[in-house]
Amino acid sequence: MRPLIIIGALAVVIIIRVSMRMRKRRQQADQAAMMAGEEAESAGEATTTGPVAPTASSHRAANFGARFGDVGIIAMREITERVRGRIFRVGTVVILLAIGLAIIIPNLNHHSAGSGVTTQEVGIVGSLSPEFQKVVVEAGKADKDDVHFVTESSLDQAKRNLRDKSLAFAIVNDDALLLNEPPSDSSSPADPTLVQDVAEYFGLLHSYQSADLTSAQIHSVTNAQSIPVNLLSQGQTKKVNATSVVGLIMLFVLLTQYCTWILIGVMQEKSSRVVEVLLAAVRPIQLLAGKVLGIGLVALSQAVVVVGFALLVAKAVGSDVLKGSEPMALLAELVWFVLGYAFYCWVYAAAGSMAERQDQVQTLAFPLSIPILIGYIFSITVVSSGNASPLFKVLAYLPPTAPFAMPALVAINQVAWWQFLASVLITLAATAGVAIFAARIYSRAVLRTGGRVRLKQLRNS
Amino acid sequence: MAAVLELRGLSRRYGDIVALDDLSLEVPSGQVVGFLGPNGAGKTTTMRAIFGLTDLDGGSVHWNGKPVDQKTRRRFGYMPEERGLYPGMHVGEQIEYFGRLHGMSSHDAANSTGQWLERLEIANRWNDKVEVLSHGNQQRVQLAAALVHQPELIILDEPLSGLDPVGIDAIGKVLVDQAHAGCCVIFSSHQLDQVEELCEQVTIVDHGHLVVTGTVDELATSGPRRLVVRVECDRDGAWARSLPGVTVSEIRGSEIRLVLDDNTDSDVVLTAAMAAGKVTQFSFGRRRLSEVFRESLA
Repeated sequence: MRPLIIIGALAVVIIIRVSMRMRKRRQQADQAAMMAGEEAESAGEATTTGPVAPTASSHRAANFGARFGDVGIIAMREITERVRGRIFRVGTVVILLAIGLAIIIPNLNHHSAGSGVTTQEVGIVGSLSPEFQKVVVEAGKADKDDVHFVTESSLDQAKRNLRDKSLAFAIVNDDALLLNEPPSDSSSPADPTLVQDVAEYFGLLHSYQSADLTSAQIHSVTNAQSIPVNLLSQGQTKKVNATSVVGLIMLFVLLTQYCTWILIGVMQEKSSRVVEVLLAAVRPIQLLAGKVLGIGLVALSQAVVVVGFALLVAKAVGSDVLKGSEPMALLAELVWFVLGYAFYCWVYAAAGSMAERQDQVQTLAFPLSIPILIGYIFSITVVSSGNASPLFKVLAYLPPTAPFAMPALVAINQVAWWQFLASVLITLAATAGVAIFAARIYSRAVLRTGGRVRLKQLRNS
Repeated sequence: MAAVLELRGLSRRYGDIVALDDLSLEVPSGQVVGFLGPNGAGKTTTMRAIFGLTDLDGGSVHWNGKPVDQKTRRRFGYMPEERGLYPGMHVGEQIEYFGRLHGMSSHDAANSTGQWLERLEIANRWNDKVEVLSHGNQQRVQLAAALVHQPELIILDEPLSGLDPVGIDAIGKVLVDQAHAGCCVIFSSHQLDQVEELCEQVTIVDHGHLVVTGTVDELATSGPRRLVVRVECDRDGAWARSLPGVTVSEIRGSEIRLVLDDNTDSDVVLTAAMAAGKVTQFSFGRRRLSEVFRESLA
């Protein structure tokens, strides 16, 4: 598994290096084009394309945005600037690394306990009956080991192969196992669980043979099944849904991050006065819609990349972190990420339009984050315990807390489809109302300067 | 020359403060018009009203006889007093972006951006972020952002503030060229000497209403006679203050500008000046714009 981590880390480093090199090359190309333009100008040649040609990628992005009018152009600028920003790139790499490590590290522990799929070269010194060979193969399957037998010509030969680690362990005349070092050592190629199992099963087989059991009897005994354990009640305790917990954490991180981006972005446009130049050309609602759409698309893309990466890594390392979850829980979290962003982005944009400085942003952001925190903490508790109180079920219908509470109810399977749909409709209706109210605040507050704007001032304006 | 921009009875109050008080004005195209007034006179509010950036209590803005709407405003260019740029965005992309928002295609916006950066001598800063530029170069980027879409009306709030003489000349030349190309150019400034040099017409407002408007020539030649006198080693013009019918208008170094009543004989002034010291200059002069400004607001 270590090579996987090293490969992953190398891949991240290579991606960063390549992107930096590509950026440098683009700049060099632009500078070369600019110098060429200047030379042509000084030589008296007519230039029709200006002194510096913009990059093809910026043109493609601009053209794509233009298809959606002014809102599309504004959204495209947000996407380009955000994705280009160091915060986004470093943040994405950090999230991917964290997700990757969160999946790989437990899997490493799992593997050390014998559940990883590895190849085990097992030497045979002397003879080993088919029954014993079958036991080794079955034990390997149970421990996720692919067993290959290697016939050794002598004990010395087996020892040499053990020392140079071409063998995991050797079976000597079906009554002893030989290893170079303890299987629990990190340098040992042997799966300690397989060694333990083979030793136990061989002991049992010898006991069965001593008791004069026939092959059929031995087979019957070794394939004995446990009797079923039936419960009259499911009880209060349920298995913690790891996927839902991870999903809720990601939901909280991404929702908070992107809403804060909107808050700060609006505040910066206002404090730098660039908003005056923008609103001289477009309507406030267009500027606001372009901003929330652009940042929203970046947020959704990052969420998709993170989920896709997690699934990929989980599959690559054979992790069961994501396997146990119901697909509905993941789907619900994705749906509520979109709905939660749609609800909160307007509120944060309106708040941003009332601030002019960083310290004012922090003052405004705190009360807005309270319902998010309440929804998040309650939901994590509910998903962990597997039990939802009536109060929590009410939170699942309130738009400020529903983005966390409703996916939590889905994760513990305590919500019907119509309840889910009802909550979605309530949130959509509330989002429409909030968007109209926030757009009014935004258009009145964003051009007001000279300190933080109060709602009372806007009501009187 | 037909008036193209009309402000009709603009009114705006902020609580007890009157920002605009029934302000009416006509501005012709093809000229650079100086929009002057003391601090708090209502200049910025008027400019913002033209772009719909402030709600009006009354009045309306017309362009070629029609009320100005959002579509019309896309053909205007605006340069606010404080920097209106994204500090972390690249110069070229930023100007292109503003061009796009004014309805240009991506290709046209890129071409126009290149041409303006070349003309304003900052073509080599295309890929630089605005925040790393000097004040003067940021001012040029701001001007390029206002002009990139070839506007019919250009309104600039204090475009010359903080610039060195080279920067003032460069931006001033651009404004004059735009006016000669048929644009309507309006800008505010407290640098009255530059305004006098650049503008054909001047409008002065105070307390939200129009005080005076006219061509620079009309304003310079109107009013009572004035003398420009230099007396060696005289810096305060004390000798002139006691003369009947004479008012000291301005003192700049050893140059003293005097306003004479109709009945005052200039020979009397010359005699008094010679008594005060060696006279190196004694001539009749035009009203300076700074004098027009002060006398209009007195």
